[in-house]
Amino acid sequence: MEIVVNISDMKVTSRARDVLVTHALGSCLGLAAYDPIAGVAGLIHCLLPLARDAKTPPKNPFMYVNTGIPQMIRAMYGRGATREHLVLKAAGCGRMMHISNQFDTGASNIAALKKLLQINEMRLSAEDVGGTIPRTMRLFADTGRIVITSCGRSWEL
Amino acid sequence: MSRREEILQKAMAIPNMPMPVQKVLAYIGNPDADLRQLAKIIEFDPGLTVNVLRMANSSFFGGGAKVSTVKEALMRLGLGRLYQLVIASGVAPLARYAIKGYGLRPGELLEHSVAVAVASETLARELGVVAPPYTFTAGLLVNIGKTVMGSFLEVDAAPILTLAHEQHISFEQAEELILGINHAELGALLLEKWGIPTPIVNVVRYRLRPDESPEPDLALDLVHVGDVIAKMTGIGMGIDGLQYAPSEAAFARLDVSPQQMENVMVAILEQIAEVRDILMENTL
Repeated sequence: MEIVVNISDMKVTSRARDVLVTHALGSCLGLAAYDPIAGVAGLIHCLLPLARDAKTPPKNPFMYVNTGIPQMIRAMYGRGATREHLVLKAAGCGRMMHISNQFDTGASNIAALKKLLQINEMRLSAEDVGGTIPRTMRLFADTGRIVITSCGRSWEL
Repeated sequence: MSRREEILQKAMAIPNMPMPVQKVLAYIGNPDADLRQLAKIIEFDPGLTVNVLRMANSSFFGGGAKVSTVKEALMRLGLGRLYQLVIASGVAPLARYAIKGYGLRPGELLEHSVAVAVASETLARELGVVAPPYTFTAGLLVNIGKTVMGSFLEVDAAPILTLAHEQHISFEQAEELILGINHAELGALLLEKWGIPTPIVNVVRYRLRPDESPEPDLALDLVHVGDVIAKMTGIGMGIDGLQYAPSEAAFARLDVSPQQMENVMVAILEQIAEVRDILMENTL
């Protein structure tokens, strides 16, 4: 079954026949996580890098890289995934042409992800980020295969 | 005949907005327009009536106690808002088509247009400025030219995009090179022909290049930045994606901060569903 992950949304599955998909990644970050041993797959679509107000938890934690991704990974641990086996792949983080750095949300999103991973001593196995293209990201839960689709073309990540 | 002339000729043959919409617009344009008479004209048309009531009861436009008659709705929305809503109801059906050549499924362009409109108004609130009354409608109409190119003229955007990528130019520049006209100008010409007020037409014409507008216009800057923000969120994005160059001058004129931009992104995600459903479900 194809399960759609909306903007500021996250889905985790242990069913091999599921495909997690998120459409319309502009400057947003799509992060796919897969544990081949536990057979657990997760996909998140984050709009923004950081939930800034540290005191009150955000209404929707999946909106932000710094709150959503830890929550997704914890949900996957809850289903038997382990840190050693997790494979992480990122897509999206596009930018408008010549936009000034301070408004380049895509760059801030990928930077927030890399910082989060560095602190947790984890790393990305692959990434397809930046540029002006819109991206759709699919994660096949049977194998962990990631397919990016954009402008009528598809490729594996 | 050049490609530009051919496109213009075909576009000008596109039928005007539905009759009830034209009637209401003509009436509002009359200096003696009164709300009671207007309510009667609207009540004649079930589609418009439903739209007006839903809009007045939506949290984005109205809020407060529920209204159940067109007259009450008009009192709440006011003439200016009503005018915009009627134009929106007239044009929205055009934005519901799938736009194949531009990689848009049915409803996606409408969703994007609503995101632009909501972003433009929300940005004004965020900046503490009063958006000119036509801002929302103009935002909603900025993509009308894409509808015309994609659905009526069956333009295939793929070679346009390829050219834009190869030459590192914006999508609308590539449209000009290949078609002789870009979708912003085409949309503006069509709206002009339909008798849509000039301030709205100007926003549509210059929204990708606000610095070329002969007059400075707050609504234009709001819609330009609103459009950039909507594109970045990816809502209803076509194959052209982010292949556009925002105007730094417009960002500077509005004095937008990155934090304010993020706040608008969050707000549009929360608000577009409501507005989209109103415009999506009621066909005129």
